[in-house]
Amino acid sequence: MSQITAPEPTAARADVEVDWKSHIVAALPLIVLVLLIVVVTANQPNFIALGSVRGLLESMAPILLLALGQTFVILTGGIDLSFAATASFGTVLLALWMPGLGVAGVIAVVAALTLIGFINGFVIAMTQIPSFIATLGALGLYSGLGLAISGASNIRISTGYEAIGWITDLRIAGLPLSALLVILIAVIIAVAMKVLSRGKSFHAIGLAEQALLMSGGSTIRIRILAFTLCGLFSGLAAVMLAASQHSGGPTLADTLQLPAIAAVVIGGTAITGGVGGAMKTVVGALIIVVLRVGLSAVGVDPSFEQIVYGTVIIAAVVLTIDRSRLGVVK
Amino acid sequence: MSVPVLEVKNLTKTFKNVVALDNITFEVRQNEVVGLIGENGAGKSTLLKILSGIYQPDSGEIRRNGEKAVFRGPKDSATAGIGMVHQEQSLVTSVTVAENILLGSEMDAVRGGFYNWRTLNAKAQKQLDKIQSPISPTDKVEDLSFAQRQMVELAKALGVEEFSKESPVIVLDEPTSVLEGDELEVLFAQIERLRQFASVIFVSHRLDEVLRVSDRVYILKDGKSVAERNPDTADVDELHRLMVGRESSAEFYHESEQTPVVDEPVVLKVEGLGKTRAFSGVSFEVRKGEVLGISGVQGSGREELTRVLFGAEPFDSGTITLDGRKVRFASPVGAVRAGYGYIPAERRIEGIAQGLSVQDNIFLADPSPVSVGPFFVPSRARAAASEWITRLRIRTPNRNTNVSNLSGGNQQKVVLAKWLNSPRLRVLILDHPTRGLDVGAKEDVYTFIRQLCGQGIAIILLADTLEETIALSHSIFVMRDGEIQRRFDASPGNKPKPVELVEQMV
Repeated sequence: MSQITAPEPTAARADVEVDWKSHIVAALPLIVLVLLIVVVTANQPNFIALGSVRGLLESMAPILLLALGQTFVILTGGIDLSFAATASFGTVLLALWMPGLGVAGVIAVVAALTLIGFINGFVIAMTQIPSFIATLGALGLYSGLGLAISGASNIRISTGYEAIGWITDLRIAGLPLSALLVILIAVIIAVAMKVLSRGKSFHAIGLAEQALLMSGGSTIRIRILAFTLCGLFSGLAAVMLAASQHSGGPTLADTLQLPAIAAVVIGGTAITGGVGGAMKTVVGALIIVVLRVGLSAVGVDPSFEQIVYGTVIIAAVVLTIDRSRLGVVK
Repeated sequence: MSVPVLEVKNLTKTFKNVVALDNITFEVRQNEVVGLIGENGAGKSTLLKILSGIYQPDSGEIRRNGEKAVFRGPKDSATAGIGMVHQEQSLVTSVTVAENILLGSEMDAVRGGFYNWRTLNAKAQKQLDKIQSPISPTDKVEDLSFAQRQMVELAKALGVEEFSKESPVIVLDEPTSVLEGDELEVLFAQIERLRQFASVIFVSHRLDEVLRVSDRVYILKDGKSVAERNPDTADVDELHRLMVGRESSAEFYHESEQTPVVDEPVVLKVEGLGKTRAFSGVSFEVRKGEVLGISGVQGSGREELTRVLFGAEPFDSGTITLDGRKVRFASPVGAVRAGYGYIPAERRIEGIAQGLSVQDNIFLADPSPVSVGPFFVPSRARAAASEWITRLRIRTPNRNTNVSNLSGGNQQKVVLAKWLNSPRLRVLILDHPTRGLDVGAKEDVYTFIRQLCGQGIAIILLADTLEETIALSHSIFVMRDGEIQRRFDASPGNKPKPVELVEQMV
C-alpha cells in the first residue's frame, strides 16, 4: 500500500505531549507502597529484617497468583467472582487425588481448574451474559461441590505431600522460591503483553470490543482465554495453598477473594477494563500484604482485615475510575 | 447601534497542549441569525460547550446584553436565556414529549414528587406553540421521526425564555446533518420564525445552507475566528477556501482521477444473496479497482447487506465468491483474514478503539507488517506508524496519543491507515466514510479512495450523499425493500443524475 498519500504531505508535528497528571496517577500505587513500607518500618524497625520479608512474600504468593489470573479478566472489562472458590475446590481435589496419583494428581487438578475457567469463559462469551452473574453462579457451584466431596471439613495431605512440599520449602538467598517464581511469572506476562503483536488484545477488548471485532479480532476467543488463564492461576494458587497448609479444604482460599481483587484494582488496573497489567498487580499485591502486616503491627484485630480490603477496593475504584466511560461499565 | 445580545470577547481555551480556542471574538445581535462554520477541530464544539457552561474558558469573557456573564454550568447558561439544540440528540426516548421539554425545569408541574400532567402538558404545549409544531405533548419521543425529535429539542431550548428576562439566543449545532428535502425546508421556516423573537447561532458543515439562512457568517479555523462574511456578497467557494485555508479543488470528488475498470478481473462475486427480513436475491460483481456504490433509504437493506458481506451477520441463501473461491464467514475474523476491510459508520464505537494510542489502532487489524512471527518489532512499528501519520496527514501530537483525543477527520484517517497497513487487503467496505467530516477531511478521503482503486482494491461504498455516490462509483445499484431496484453505470463520463437514483429509492 505504499503509494497512498494525502494530497499535500506536510511533516508530522513533532511536539511531544507530556501529560504529567496521568503519569502521577499511574505512579500512585507505587508511591502508596513506598509510603506504607516507610510508615510500617518506622513503627516496627524489624519489618525489613529477612525473616519478616520472607513471611511477607510467603503470604503474598497465593494472593498474587489469584490476582494475576483475575487481572486478565478485569482487563477485558469482566470479573471472575468464582476464582477463590474454584481454588478452594482445587485444594480439596488435591487432597483427594495426590495420595493416589502424586505429581500426576497435581497436574490433573491444575488442568481441571483451567477447564473450569474455560467453561466460565465459554458460557460468558457465547451467551453474552454479564461475567459477574455467570461467575457468581459458578462460585455457588464449586464451593458447593468442594463442601460435598470433602464432607465439609479440611483434609490433611500426608501421603504424596513431597510432590508439592518443595514449593514452600525451597529458598533462594533466604527468600521463598514460591514468591520469587510468582513474581517471575508476572514479569513474563508483562513482557509477553509488550512484545507479542497481539499482546494488547485483552486491553483492546476492555476499551473497545466493537472496534476490535470490526478489525477482525476474535473477541470470543480472547474473552475465553482470559477466563481460562484465570482458572489456570486458580489451579496454581490451589497447589501453593495446599503446600503451605499441608491440607485441602472447601473454604481454604475463600478469604483470599477480597485481597486478590483488591490487589488488582489498587495496583491500578481499571475495573472497567482496558487499562492495567501484571506489574501493576504485583505492586497491588505488595500493598495488600504490607497493609496486612502494618495493621497487625498497629494492633488491629485480624478480623478487621476483610473490612479494610472491602473499603480499599471501593476507594481504589472511586479514585481510578474513568467517569467519561461510565456508560460501558459492565 | 444597540448592544449585542451576546458577545464573546477574546475567548481562549487550552486542553493540555492543544489550543482549542485562540482569542475568539464574535457577537450576535438582536433578531439575527449568525452562521458559524469551521472544519472539525476548528473549535466549534469547544465554543458551544463554553456557551452552554460545560467548559470554562481560560481567559476572555462572555457578555449578555452588555453585561459580563459567567456560566458555571448548563443551568447558568439557561438562566441567561441561551438554549441549545445539540448535534447528537439528547432526548429521553422512552417518555413523552412534554416530559422531555420540561426535563429539569418542571417547577410547579411537579407536586409532591408526582407530575401534574395537566400543567406539564400545558407548559410543553406553550413551547411547541412557539414553533407552531403539530407534535402533541403526550406523544412518546420514540415514536417520532428524527426531524420531529429535533423540533422537540428546539421547543425544549425555547423553554429558556421561561426563566430569563432576556430575549433568547438559540444555538443550533449541525441541525441539518441528517435532514433531507422537506425536513430541511421545515427547519429553515422554523429559523425564520425564531428570528421574530430570538437570535440564532447556526452551526453547520453545509456551506450553502449557512449562506441561505444567516445574516452574517463567522469562519473559524484552528481555534481562531479568521473572517466574517456577509452572505449577500460571499459564495460557497470563498467560505470553503477560508475554512480549509487552501484553494477549493475545482474537482472536489477528483473525478478526473477515476479510471475505467471493464477489463479488470472480478474480485468479489455475490449471487442470489438473501437474509430473512433484510434482503433477498442480491447479485453483483466488483472488479479490481472498482467502486461499487449502493444507494437506498434506511430500511432498504443496504446496511444489513454490508454487514453480511463482512461476516458480522449471517446470511440465509446465495453465495459469495472472493477471488474465485466460495466464502462464508462466521464472524469478521474470517473476513479480515481473507482480505476484507471495513470502515464503519459508527466510527467512535466500531472504527477506532478509544483509549488505545494512534499507533496501536493502526496495527489493530493486522500487525503482521511490523511483526516477526508472533513478536512485535517496536522499531518497525514506530517507523511505520510515523510514516502513516505523515502520509495521511493525521493531525496528532504524536503516535502514542490516545486516539479519542483526535478530531473526527483524523480518527477516520487512523481507521483508514489500519486497513491500508494490511498487505492482505482486497476488498474495502466503506460505510458512510465521510459522515461528520469537514470539507477538508472529506476531500482527503476522496483522494484516498481514488488511490486505492489505482492499487486494485475493490471498494463497496455506502455514501453520505447521492452526489458522493455518483461521483465516486464506477457502478451503482439502488436497493429498495431489500431488493436491487435498478443498476446504473457510473463509469467516467457516464454518470447518472441524482434524481434518477431518487426515483428508484422511494
